[in-house]
Formats: sequence, structure tokens, C-alpha cells
Amino acid sequence: MSTAGLALGNGRPVTTALWQVLALPLLALLVWQVWALTLESDTRAPYPIKVLTTFLALTASGDLPSALLQSLGRVIAGFCFALLLGCGLGILMGANRKLRDSLDPIIEGFRPIAPMAILPIAILWFGTGTPAALSIVTYAAFFPLLVNTVHGISHVDPKLVRAATTMGLPRWRIMLRVLLPASLPSVVLGARLAMGVAWTAIIAAELAVGAKSGGGTSGGIGQMMFVFYAYSVDLNAIVVCMIVVGVVAMLGDRIFRAVERRLMPWRP
Amino acid sequence: MTDNPKLRLRGVSKRFEATRANGPTTAVADFSLNVANGEFVCIVGPSGCGKSTVLNMIAGLDAASAGSIEMDGRTITGPGADRGVMFQDYALMPWQTVEQNIGFGLEYGTPGEGMTPAQRAQRVRDYIELVGLNGSERKYPHQLSGGMRQRVALARLLANGPEVLLLDEPLGALDAQTRLILQVELLRIWGETLERSHRKTAIFITHDIEEAVFLGDRVIVMSSHPGRVKADILIDLPRPRQESLRMSARFGELTDRIWTLIRDEAYRAIGGGSPANTPTQEIRV
Amino acid sequence: MADARANLFSGRLPSEGGALSATKSPADGGVVAPARHRGAPAWLRRTGVVLRSYALFIAAWWLLAAWNGNPIQLPDPASVFNALVDLARDGELLEHTVVSSTRVVIALSIAVSLALPLGFAMGLSRRLESFVDPLVELLRPISGIAWIPLALFIFGVGNMLPIFIMVYVAFFPLLLNTVSGVRSVDRRLIDASRTMGVSRRAVLERVVIPASLPTVMVGFRLAFASAWAAVVAAELIGAPSGLGFAIEWYRQLLMSPKVFGFIALIGLVGFLFDSMLRALQRKLTPWHTGASA
Repeated sequence: MSTAGLALGNGRPVTTALWQVLALPLLALLVWQVWALTLESDTRAPYPIKVLTTFLALTASGDLPSALLQSLGRVIAGFCFALLLGCGLGILMGANRKLRDSLDPIIEGFRPIAPMAILPIAILWFGTGTPAALSIVTYAAFFPLLVNTVHGISHVDPKLVRAATTMGLPRWRIMLRVLLPASLPSVVLGARLAMGVAWTAIIAAELAVGAKSGGGTSGGIGQMMFVFYAYSVDLNAIVVCMIVVGVVAMLGDRIFRAVERRLMPWRP
Repeated sequence: MTDNPKLRLRGVSKRFEATRANGPTTAVADFSLNVANGEFVCIVGPSGCGKSTVLNMIAGLDAASAGSIEMDGRTITGPGADRGVMFQDYALMPWQTVEQNIGFGLEYGTPGEGMTPAQRAQRVRDYIELVGLNGSERKYPHQLSGGMRQRVALARLLANGPEVLLLDEPLGALDAQTRLILQVELLRIWGETLERSHRKTAIFITHDIEEAVFLGDRVIVMSSHPGRVKADILIDLPRPRQESLRMSARFGELTDRIWTLIRDEAYRAIGGGSPANTPTQEIRV
Repeated sequence: MADARANLFSGRLPSEGGALSATKSPADGGVVAPARHRGAPAWLRRTGVVLRSYALFIAAWWLLAAWNGNPIQLPDPASVFNALVDLARDGELLEHTVVSSTRVVIALSIAVSLALPLGFAMGLSRRLESFVDPLVELLRPISGIAWIPLALFIFGVGNMLPIFIMVYVAFFPLLLNTVSGVRSVDRRLIDASRTMGVSRRAVLERVVIPASLPTVMVGFRLAFASAWAAVVAAELIGAPSGLGFAIEWYRQLLMSPKVFGFIALIGLVGFLFDSMLRALQRKLTPWHTGASA
């Protein structure tokens, strides 16, 4: 019996027809909508049409854009902190074996401790509000940046460094012209991963802080979601927020991938 | 040439459709070849001439675009255990031991049908002995050297008892010294000292001309773009082939002749001009 | 001078260490650099380094706590240790750990039973993949956390909430890695099997599944890591028990040593689980060198 039909990595590019791409999602939407129609007319259950109208309403009223901006602002700020800390420490650890070996057990110890687990500490220190949320984001983004920077620097092909040495480059030049470019792919990968977890972390932090402070001063999409859950019980609005969260995550990822390609044209 | 060749390829050609990188290409065109039972035929040619494509078609892994391939008068339609293949990177199952790898076809494929487990185990042991891997039965491929992996692949090939052996640059991944040793080993294992009718038919692909002359009864020289038979050279060196043969005048003549046939193509294959174009003047510094 | 050279510029090849130096450098082809000191075996030296690092960490913590002076903000290591002992003694430690761990195990089991068959089917059939993948890619960016409010509404506070969130979160890495694992099966192994007359079913069972196992295992480890992070978040917001619940509970009581103690426990248990998975990975897929996350 022939196994020629096995669609295993045979290298041929796959072109998917547009209708195939849309088929299942549209079907899911349709089923969802139809199911909602079978419920009572004043049901709380979310369904596609209502989600759409809620989205338009929230955008028009400015609630959604302002919450989004708040969350984005925090995520970018937290990400920048983490960039400084993570890459800075990463370069030091990457270039120095002793430092790396000493700090590595601590880093590994913190890895299984999720950003959310740090939240209570953050609240103890900063109260419920932006600083707490920011610290969670920084914590979340720190590790991918650190780990990938260390990996990038420490895995620079030693032969490249040796070649540069034999051409008489001074150490600082080697750092600048060999180590940094060579480790750039790893660092950018770390940045992309960090952005992903940072975005998740800010939503989580805002959600949790919102839950604890009774929808108070934290703001942002996460907190808005909690308000829609606990106060107005507007499930359609919750779904709108979920979709926005997803879209932003996807866009962020795409942007970083484009940056990756731009910064490193020598990569295949 | 006998009237009943073991393998007959008639006007075989292979076209590949356009991909994102290239337009449609004809890898092999009008390739014809008859191989007698028990013959060891080597196919040489520059890189990209389509040698592996021809082998894949004989193995049944690829279908010919035109022409016919027959074994014992029957057209080949797909892969089967009657034509065993040895791949350049050995294709050993990494999660299986040497024993399990050699016995894979016996266990799950057609060669082992009708055999009891005890018979299969014995057969595996016999071939481990034949290729000289005693003591390594329980090892995994990642624990073996390149030369040892090659022998596992060979043992697996033979244990399945194919009528025809198809070998795609089996020694290509080895260093030069190991390769020389294994060439002699290969001939021994193939059964060089047996009578012609008791040997297995073998098709051996290589880019190493000396290897081809050392091993084969015949050497088929292929041209490239598209691949076809450029020459069919009989190797009249005595068997069993001795190391000393490599130094003999006749050996030198044969390799020279083949290289002359290939040379221009080889230059073109590496993106340069022909030897006539390369500068002959000294460059003064 | 000697020490300054004992780093990148000396051309010494990376050796085995913690995760940051664990992956073998492609440049060294897997060769481990020779031990600098003769005599002490590698594992002993490594344990020594780990202990020394943690000792320094605790010392730094102590100093920081003393300087800070606020036992609620930053309790000193001794009080955290005592808190852990108390918790162990009255059984709370074990209770919350077991609750969270059980939820993770259940969630992962569900996720595996959903993702693996689908992943295999998608890996084998380009058609199926082209249909299912768009929906997967649409849902994936919506983090598990974003599902919490809706899930809270559907399930309420309780066991189901963390489990649901974890199943969602674990599903995607498992699915994606399974598909990738199947896709990356060496074509040659399939070809070789066909030339041995192996039936299609046997090729699937005996070649495709074992060959894709390493990547699936990596997916499993990723799924666990995601689930372990999610369980804390979910329990913090929407469960009456478990480690996430505990840290929030004690925070509200302003009992910091216990908060810190539970956080350390979260780290420890997570680390133990991952070590088990790593050992499992080594056992099941010993040929997969230089693995993973």
C-alpha cells in the first residue's frame, strides 16, 4: 500500500485558497450566531452581531480607544525597562562565564514563578495602580530578554571572535562589530517573545488589580474587562475586549517579525 | 549483454514542475540502460546530473515522466522490498538499536513474512556478523561512528533479501580513509568472490570516479542538464579487486578516460568556465 | 589576567551548566570543555555553585530586608522560612500544592487528548490543516488570561475555572508542536520504509509517531510551563483553593511571610515538575540531542 499520499515536509510550498482560510472561522461564527438566536431575546449571552455593535459603540464613546492606549502605554513602558535591565544584564552574563554560572541558578529558580504570582508582592509594595501593573510587565518581559541575550552573546561562534582577533581588532571593537551583530538575531527573538508575554501580563495584571481594587484606578483593557464582568455584566463587551487583546497580540508579533527581517537581511 | 537483463530502462525521462525558485526542469532525458543479473554497475556524473533521480525511479520512489523501467520484464510501479535502497545519510531510525534497525524490514515489512521471530532474530544476527558489528547490537545510531552507521544500513539492506541493491552515494558521508577501507568491505559483503549468478545486482551512484572504477563491472557516465547516458564503459579489471589495483596502469587509463568525459561538465557544474578558460599565466606579486 | 581571559575572548567553548549554558554550541559540535579543576566531579561542583549562588541571594535579601525595615513589604528570610514550616505543619502547604498540581495534571491530560490526535491528523493531511489552522491562529493570540472574565461567568468560582483556562493555554503549544513534529519527520525514513514494503499503517505507527515524539515532548514541556503560569493567575482571581488563591488570601491578611513562602513554593514545585518532564524527555527520546526550551 502506497504511502505516497502522506503530506509530510516534501518542500513544496502550500497555497491555501481564500475560501479554505475563511471556511471554518465563518462556520464557527454562523453556528454561534444561530445558537444565540435560539435563546431568549433578552439573553445575556454574547453573539457575533451584538459583539459587533458593542464594539462600534465602545469605539465611538472613546472608552475602548482610551483603555487600549492606557494598556499599550504601560506595556511599552514596562517593555523598555525590561529591555534595559534584561539586555544589560544579558550582555554582562553572556560575556562572562563566571557571572553566568553564578546567576544562572537564581534565574532558573524564578522561571517557574509566573508574573501573576508576583502580583501580590507588587500590590504590597505599590498599592493597586499603575506602578504595580508596570512592575509585573517588567518582570514578565525581563526573562525572555535576558535568557535570549545571554544565549545570543554566549553562542557567538568562537571562530568569528578568533578571526577578528587575528585581524588585530581591539576588544571593544570585537564587542561592537562581531558580538553584537552576531547576537542580534537572538536578542530580537527575545524581544518578540518578551513583547508577547508582556502584553499578556499587562492584561492579567489589570484584570487582577481591577478585581482587587473594585474597578478603581488601574484602568486599561484588563480592568475594563473586569468591570464588564462584575458590574455591568456585559458579556458582549467582554468578548470585544478579548478580540482586541488578540488582535493587538497578533499585530505586535507581526511588527516584531518585520523588524527582525529588516534588521537582519543576512538571515534567510 | 544477455537477452534477459535484470533491469531494463528504456527512454526514461523525468520532468519536474515549476517551483517558486525554478521553472520546470527536465532532470533526466532519454535514459536507457540494461543491467544484467549479478552485475555491479556504477553511475558517475557531475553534481546535479540526475544520478539520484534515476536511482529513485528504479526504486519506485519517483515516477518516470516518460519511458519505462522494468525488472525481470515487469514494469516497476512503486517501491518494494525486491529493490532495496541504501541512502546517503543511511536513514536509520534513531529510536531503534542496531538490532532493531536491521530487523525493521523483517519485522514490519514484506521480507519477513512467513518467518518466525526466532528466524528473524537469527537472520539479524547473521548480518550483524557479516558486516562486522558484533558487540554493537544494543547501541543507538547516535552512539555510532559514520562508518558503523553505514554498515548498519548495509546490513539492513541485505537482511531484507532484495534482488537488486540500489546504493545512493553510500560512502559519501565518510572521510577519505574510511571510504577506501569500506570499498573493499563492500565488495566482500556484496559477494565478490561468488559466481556471477549468485551475486546480487547492484546499482551504485557516486561522484568519485576512482571509487566507481574500483567497485564496478561497468561504469555509466552521465551528462547533465538534462541527464543522459554519455558513455558506458566496461571495467575489465580482475576480481577480487585488490588495493594494489589502484596503482595499476589500466586503472589509471580507465579513470582518466572517465574524467575526460566528465571534466567540462564538472567545471560548468561549479559555476566556472571550461578548463580552457582558466588563466594559465602566472600572476606576479 | 587569567580570569579575564576565562571568558568569551579566550576561545573556550561553552560547557554544560544551567539552562543558560545548557544548549550545546553548534560550534563545538557537542564537545564538552574539559573540567577546569581535576578531582571534583562536575555534578558536585555544579551543586556547589548553585548552593553558593542561593546563599548569596539569601544574604542579599537579608540585607535588603534590614535596610527596608518594613516586614510587611519585605519580610526577612528567617520569617519566610518559619512561615513555611508552620504551613507545612498544619498541612496547608501540602493541601494547596496538591490542589493546584491535581488541576494541572487534569488540564494537561485533557489538553493532550484533544491536541495530539488533532495535531497528528493535521500534520498528515495538508487539507485538514488548511481548514483548521486559520481558526487556531485566530484563537491563539487571545491569551488564556483574557478568557478569565467570560469563563468566570460560565463556570463561576471553583475548580473548573483554572482547569478550563489551563486546557486552553496548554492546547496550543501541544497542537503546534505535534503538527510540527509530524511535518519534520525525515522524509528519508519514510522512503526507506517504503522500500522495505512496510504498510502505510505500520509507517504511521512505527515511523511517524516515534520520529515526531521529540518535538511533541518539547510541546508538552512548553504546555506545562504555560499551564503552571495560568493556574496561578486563574486561582488568584477565581478559585477558592490552590497556591494562587493562597498567595492572594494571605496578602489580604497582610501576612507577608506566608505570601513569600507560597511564592517560593510555586517556584519550587514548578521546577520539580519541569525536572520530571525533562527526565521523561531524556528517557523517551534519548537520541534527541541538544533539545528544547
